Amino acid sequence: MSTPATSFNEREFVTCQISRLVEDKYIYWVGGGGEPLSSVLLAKRMSAPNLQYLTEDGVVGPEAQVPFDPLMTMISSRANYRALQWGTMNYAADLAHLGYVDYGILATLQVDRYGNVNSTVIGKYDGGEGRRFGGPGGADSIAALAWRTILVTDQQKRKFVDRVDFISSPGFLDGPGARERHGLPPNTGPWRVYTPWAMFGYSGDCQLMLQGIAPYVTVDQVLAEMSFKPTIAPKLEVLEVPTEEELTVLRTQIDVGGQVTDRGRWVELADGKYRFAG
Amino acid sequence: MRILEEGKADYLKVDPDGYRAAVRDNKPHQMVSKLMTHKEAIERFVRDGDYLAYDCNYFQRGPSSLIREIIRQRKKQLWICGKFTYVACALLVESGCADRIDIGFIGFGPWIARAVKEKKVTIYEYSNALMTLRLKAGAMGVPFLPARSFGGTDGFQHSACKIVEDPFTGKPVLLVPAINPDVSIIHVHQADEFGNARVFGTGIAHTECALASRRVIVSAEEIIDTAEFRNDPGRTSIAHFAVDAVVHAPFGAYPGTVQGYYASDPAGVVEAMGAMYMGDFKAYLEKHVYAVASHDEYLAKVVGAEKLAEIRRRETIREGYHS
Repeated sequence: MSTPATSFNEREFVTCQISRLVEDKYIYWVGGGGEPLSSVLLAKRMSAPNLQYLTEDGVVGPEAQVPFDPLMTMISSRANYRALQWGTMNYAADLAHLGYVDYGILATLQVDRYGNVNSTVIGKYDGGEGRRFGGPGGADSIAALAWRTILVTDQQKRKFVDRVDFISSPGFLDGPGARERHGLPPNTGPWRVYTPWAMFGYSGDCQLMLQGIAPYVTVDQVLAEMSFKPTIAPKLEVLEVPTEEELTVLRTQIDVGGQVTDRGRWVELADGKYRFAG
Repeated sequence: MRILEEGKADYLKVDPDGYRAAVRDNKPHQMVSKLMTHKEAIERFVRDGDYLAYDCNYFQRGPSSLIREIIRQRKKQLWICGKFTYVACALLVESGCADRIDIGFIGFGPWIARAVKEKKVTIYEYSNALMTLRLKAGAMGVPFLPARSFGGTDGFQHSACKIVEDPFTGKPVLLVPAINPDVSIIHVHQADEFGNARVFGTGIAHTECALASRRVIVSAEEIIDTAEFRNDPGRTSIAHFAVDAVVHAPFGAYPGTVQGYYASDPAGVVEAMGAMYMGDFKAYLEKHVYAVASHDEYLAKVVGAEKLAEIRRRETIREGYHS
């Protein structure tokens, strides 16, 4: 049974989109907390009870007890509860090197047309002039080594740029063959980019391609919140809204503290159409 | 081996032969008691100018009490292995203890940003797993290890990594230089007086840190009898000969968690994060470090018995952490 929801937050929307991709037959490396972890935890409760995920601390297939205390998404008893195995960081990187990680899921600060990820600096790197962030963390290993990477970012002009200010973690770098030339394993790379408004894939020449949009925005609205014009798929998919069942699980079992929805706009169904509330 | 690309950053000198000799000459091969206080361990084993690795971080089974003692003793010019960490790097920079950081991930915040701009601290770029791989190389006694990530990034240019033509496959592969830190500090669940140590649950690189480092300080929640190691040797994470000092540090990870023993203190975590990103870091250091003389005094006067009982009570999960 599934009932399309009539009121939801755009960040709940993107969490549900990613959650629906997650399947029991794959292994996921989930970066940090936020939407990547929420979407996997939601999938585990909705459709993929036996899915396995790793985090950077080398945990394999935990049955995490949510909610976590602030920042306790790794190396904590609740995050690592009833795992199949407890490892360390080099073990997680080994598994990814070996090819066990089918999908990586990453939230990003800034992303470009080739799916390169910036989590280091907005603005100029040299001289400490730009606004500095924490560094790639585990994202470089995920982006380099997972067979396919799913990126999550905001639909904002300054986050969706032609070329990131600093490549912290690799997308397709500057096009076909570049990853292999720099020592990354073949047949890997970004696969989807999700925002609260849209879903992008990649064309054969490694360029970002708009493939789907949320029913509460237009293509023009999406393009207005990008610094460059992506390729647009010949037939655009209209992405399905969350179901009431998904939202109930997300709100009561996973996002209990409201971290998913503490930012982002609310959407409602009115006169047969989805639109931003208020 | 043909070098295809090279990062430009400085790096800790790679010297596996020197490290072997140091292991032979300086590591305690015989079982000897190494129990000592925080103060004595930091005085004896952390020196100005050292390369310092701490395992985990200030919030997650890290050696928080030893980090506070380093700051209290006003060590200088430390070069920090900044992997998987939020506030500890900022604490060490703002207190004037550190001036170089190899970055995997750190909570940056305005304090480090200002220090970078004023050239008081220099940053080198890696990733978390590349830093643990560097430690693994150090722990294997080899000068470098290959990895298949990080190539093509801008971080590469600001690292000491190289991309070479792999002599076996002919394909490009990235190499990271080994690190043998001058000193590592590691917080564990249990240790004996000789330095045999157990970590339960997941971790970052405690075994690699211990084997790779010239000097190693282990702080432990519990000091247990050596017989317990002999009864269950498969649970030993670190063998005694890698360890130079053992410090009994109950609640040593506070305000962080030690899995299975106590939960984090969310108020303490938020206070430290708040100080780092927007608050008064000097006041934080004064209250949590300088105003007290020891870890025991810190727990008694700043944290309080009630809080400690509460975080123990909140850690309800026991599976995997208690036999």
